[in-house]
Amino acid sequence: MRVGVDVGGTFTDLVVFNEDSGDLRALKVLSTPKEPWRGVLAAIMGAAEPSRVTIIVHATTLGANMLLGQAGLEPPSMLLLTNKGFRDVLEIGRQNRPELYNLFFEKPKPLIPRERRVGVRGRIGPRGEIIEGLDKDEIRETARKWCGHVKVFVVSFLNSHVNPVHETEAERLIREACPGSIVVTGSSVDPQEKEYERTSTAVVNAALKPLLSRYLERLHLDLKREGFRGSLLLMQSNGGIASLGQAIERPAAFIESGPAAGALAVSYFARIHGVARALGFDMGGTTAKASSIVGGEPLVVDEYEVGARIHMGRVLRGSGYTVRYPHIDVVEVSAGGGTIAWVDPGGSLRVGPVSAGADPGPACYGRGGEKPTITDANLVLGRLPEKIAGGSIRLRRDLALRALKALAEKIGVDVFEAAWSVVRVANTVMARALKLVTFERGHDAREFKLYAFGGAGPMHAAELAEELGISEIIVPPYPGVFSSLGLLLADYRHDFYKAVEASATDPSTEEKVNKVIEELSGKAVETLRSEGIGMERSRIVAALDMRYEGQSHTLKVAYNGSLSEAARRFEELHETRYGYRLPGEDVIVVNARVTAFGVTGKPRLPRSKPAGPLHPRPSSRREAFFPRDGWVPALVYERPKLRPGSLVTGPSIIEDSDSTIVIPPGHTARVAEDYSIWVRRG
Amino acid sequence: MTGSLDAATVEVIRNTAISISEEMGVALRNASFSPNIRDRLDYSCAILDPGGNLVAQAEHIPVHLGSMSVGVKSLAEYLESEGTSMEPGDVVLTNDPYIAGTHLNDVLAVKPVYYQGRLVAFVANKAHHVDIGGAVPGSIGAARELREEGLVIEPVKIVERGRVRWDLVKLFEANVRTPRYLRGDLMAQIASLNVGEARLREAAGRHGVDTMLGAWPRLIDHAERYARARIRELPESSRGFFEARDYVESSSGSLLELRLRLAIRHDSVEADYTGSSRQVEEPLNAVYGVTVAATVFALKSVIDPEMPMNQGFFRAVSIRAPEGTIVNPVKPAPVGGGNVETSQRIADVVLRALAQALPERVPAASCGTMSNVMVGGRGWAFYETIACGSGARPGSDGVDGVHTNMTNTLNTPIEVIEKEYPILFKSYELRPDSGGPGEYRGGLGVVRSFTALEDGVMVTIYAERALTRPWGLKGGRPGQGFTAKIIRSSGAVEKLHSKQTATLNRGDTIVIETPGGGGYGEPCKRRRELVLRDLAEGKITREAALQEYCTQ
Repeated sequence: MRVGVDVGGTFTDLVVFNEDSGDLRALKVLSTPKEPWRGVLAAIMGAAEPSRVTIIVHATTLGANMLLGQAGLEPPSMLLLTNKGFRDVLEIGRQNRPELYNLFFEKPKPLIPRERRVGVRGRIGPRGEIIEGLDKDEIRETARKWCGHVKVFVVSFLNSHVNPVHETEAERLIREACPGSIVVTGSSVDPQEKEYERTSTAVVNAALKPLLSRYLERLHLDLKREGFRGSLLLMQSNGGIASLGQAIERPAAFIESGPAAGALAVSYFARIHGVARALGFDMGGTTAKASSIVGGEPLVVDEYEVGARIHMGRVLRGSGYTVRYPHIDVVEVSAGGGTIAWVDPGGSLRVGPVSAGADPGPACYGRGGEKPTITDANLVLGRLPEKIAGGSIRLRRDLALRALKALAEKIGVDVFEAAWSVVRVANTVMARALKLVTFERGHDAREFKLYAFGGAGPMHAAELAEELGISEIIVPPYPGVFSSLGLLLADYRHDFYKAVEASATDPSTEEKVNKVIEELSGKAVETLRSEGIGMERSRIVAALDMRYEGQSHTLKVAYNGSLSEAARRFEELHETRYGYRLPGEDVIVVNARVTAFGVTGKPRLPRSKPAGPLHPRPSSRREAFFPRDGWVPALVYERPKLRPGSLVTGPSIIEDSDSTIVIPPGHTARVAEDYSIWVRRG
Repeated sequence: MTGSLDAATVEVIRNTAISISEEMGVALRNASFSPNIRDRLDYSCAILDPGGNLVAQAEHIPVHLGSMSVGVKSLAEYLESEGTSMEPGDVVLTNDPYIAGTHLNDVLAVKPVYYQGRLVAFVANKAHHVDIGGAVPGSIGAARELREEGLVIEPVKIVERGRVRWDLVKLFEANVRTPRYLRGDLMAQIASLNVGEARLREAAGRHGVDTMLGAWPRLIDHAERYARARIRELPESSRGFFEARDYVESSSGSLLELRLRLAIRHDSVEADYTGSSRQVEEPLNAVYGVTVAATVFALKSVIDPEMPMNQGFFRAVSIRAPEGTIVNPVKPAPVGGGNVETSQRIADVVLRALAQALPERVPAASCGTMSNVMVGGRGWAFYETIACGSGARPGSDGVDGVHTNMTNTLNTPIEVIEKEYPILFKSYELRPDSGGPGEYRGGLGVVRSFTALEDGVMVTIYAERALTRPWGLKGGRPGQGFTAKIIRSSGAVEKLHSKQTATLNRGDTIVIETPGGGGYGEPCKRRRELVLRDLAEGKITREAALQEYCTQ
């Protein structure tokens, strides 16, 4: 049995896969923030016999909640040792404000207050030269003075990504002067240029270390006590898993990993389906999320902000705590089933960002909600059945109509046109998220297949696909719990990098690069080995961050040992991505990167051979609205009864306990071997 | 239900236009060369209808807001008067502030978007080029007339029917200190316009040209209705006339006055700058586009930060600035500092008037300067603006060390600067006691200092609030003003004015202190634990705690 457990601030989501029966169960229980291991343990024990569980993959927002100031979770007391004259680098950050027009804006509170940020003598220059030596007595004195008052020492000096000698020396002196203390250095957790980002990454790691190591050790111990003999693994925000021991060295790498799981599930299915470009679209109750998978791997960004606020799919820069670790690029917009439609002061119909949430929820839930939501519109348009969640929730069409009527009057249309307008505007908002992870990242959405999941995703997918010029939609099995399933489909992944800063045309650079790659690969192999992954199951991939001389940003290029080859690829990529190249300009290698994958055994999901084209019988029919055809009778099918090989033509609706698929007129759906449903126009 | 121009279609096109302008911004940033654009994000992108009316703009930095609509309209008029038409595949370029609407560094590029032979829209962007020639590196500093500030590019087709005019690019390169940045950033501007053009053509293909052309005026109407509705909702007590004045400092030390009479009516606002100082023979003049941008910034922030911003908004807001004044100069007055400094004071003076109308919505003065520093030597130039203190708010302290009002650019990391240029940083810290005392304290300014590693490094300071100070409100005290000094390698100290160019030799250090924000409310009412907290953090000194905060 494999268990995925995703702990959020309020709820803990659990997914249990029984490999013998192919049964996948999902559960939701309340989180226990004060003693988090208790809730997790109880949840797991409620779902499975611990001794029969082979693998637990864990994602938790515990660390993020602490940084965001959740009551009962205090960050540890820390001391930042930095260069004299630069103790406010952490507080000033990149000096911008997160919102342009909000005169009452706030920046997040620095994790280390000013009186615990100490500047000391010593300075490394931009080329790694020592401009001023470290004052050892000053370091010893500072360490002794604060020893016992702080739990963690963070050391971050300027230009230490080029030469870490002062940081390692300071670390040694602190350990001597204050034995048993935790010391985190900037160069050990993030050896790249830009002092604020490196310092912030170090501080976030330091803040998390005591809490998360205590929590995970406790959880592991309690699980073992209950008979668990399998492996407890952590989901990281780069979309890979890591062993307990590895994870705890860089806790900032796994504190916001929940959203990565959905993208990962898409990448797994895309690989099996042989789909080179997949666009993940996950629409739930309050938000819609988008992610791109190219060549089997989700797109990754190299930096993110923990706890940042988001506006229209974009992170408000400076609203969270910067962590410079690879992070799966997931864009989120406020458009879920419960998102409210309204009319703005200019008379325009808007959808979101406010959501009716779970309580009172959409008007049709009959729990007192009076504002029209996306779910209400879908119900009125005949897309959503009147009974959902396996019949446990009855949706009230009359209440949905009443809520939409008020909106319709404001914009001067009838109630059905109002409902359709709500769906169209919602689709525009969601299309924005899908465009952000494709066009804005330099990919053409028309070359992608759309993987639609979440409770509401498959209902909106056909129209979104049309908006983006996508011709095929795939609704995977288990769409309602698909994200959690991703936890069980991950491989091990570790990213290593190091600054190089040398010209690609300099003949000595290739050797320098190869040496760094070799060093990083050595670390990679060693890390995987410590997790029990041998060479036969590992895959090591090298890449270089490159830019033109004088340019301030980089492109990531695969590296196979030949620098001239990499430089050629860089210029090609520059042209496809930005539309021009600069022949004759020098190309610089900024960083060398090594990513290590450790392939895990995957759960065996149900499959069966298609039994020729089958034409299943609909269970019922109902009137549904489609933009080009108006109201037409749609055939309704029950998904659990559809076998591989089944063909369904639109207009029709395929219902499941947790998700509804809308097949518009002119579309055909086919059930594949693995029970995923492929929908095509024509 | 589809095809006609219903409310949902208009909303769909509105979202599409905003998305496209944002995607243009991402494309510009990604392809750009200089830290100024890539890291400081000193650019803006917009979509305008065939009449040059702004319909959508990506919100990057406020000073470009509003100036874009003024700029493209003036450009279209100029081309018409010259008998030039914009053909498919053309890109027109200009940096003439009297057309483009900001200052010479901001280069405006515009491309028409045709679909099936019909003009659907214009796409435009504006990017701050780090050096555009002129007397000093960075192109902002002492100048008595426009041509001394740098190369003036009257509107030219830099791309003609899809072909880049490399002869012109070379001409520009020959006139600036950082030709590689200029070329790279120019290519990025063109790439961004191409992205915008492609996306708009796709949208026209999907929705139809008539739908697009029909939607533009509807978007503009929507913004007007939105703005008027929000103004109508303001409390009755806020209607009437509100007067305010504030000052900028000339290089000779005299004060130039900005005078505003703000009228808040039933559903419109009028800002009248009559009575402001005559234009001057130094770069403090703010062209009309800048005056519009700063006025709009303050109004939007106070009335509704979510207010949509396009031509329709300007129907509800009128801005009168007499010709020949520092808020609407005539050629050839130099304007480099109007964009970066006078703009901040225009925002201050509007906020000061609004503080009378809507006291609970307006903070005390923020530092009121971008603290521009331009450094350069042989073959290199570097530009930065330094954070400062934001004004204390009714109910909360100002923010320490942050960019305020008309700017919001990122700092360039010290490690990046040191790697690229012969300077070594000595400090980058908050400036204790600089925030104006008050029940709510003004945000702290910043101390930033660096040492030259070679001889003949030219530094230009272009800042404000050295002679005046950021004002407090409701009994709050002003923040501390701007200071700058050079410590020579010999130990000799030279004080600098707020606008001055000096030469550093190897070992000389320049120390810049930016102003703090004004305080809000009586300092003696400040909660004791907040005073003690500031003291523990070293954000105020013991002396200040005793003198300003009535503590023993």
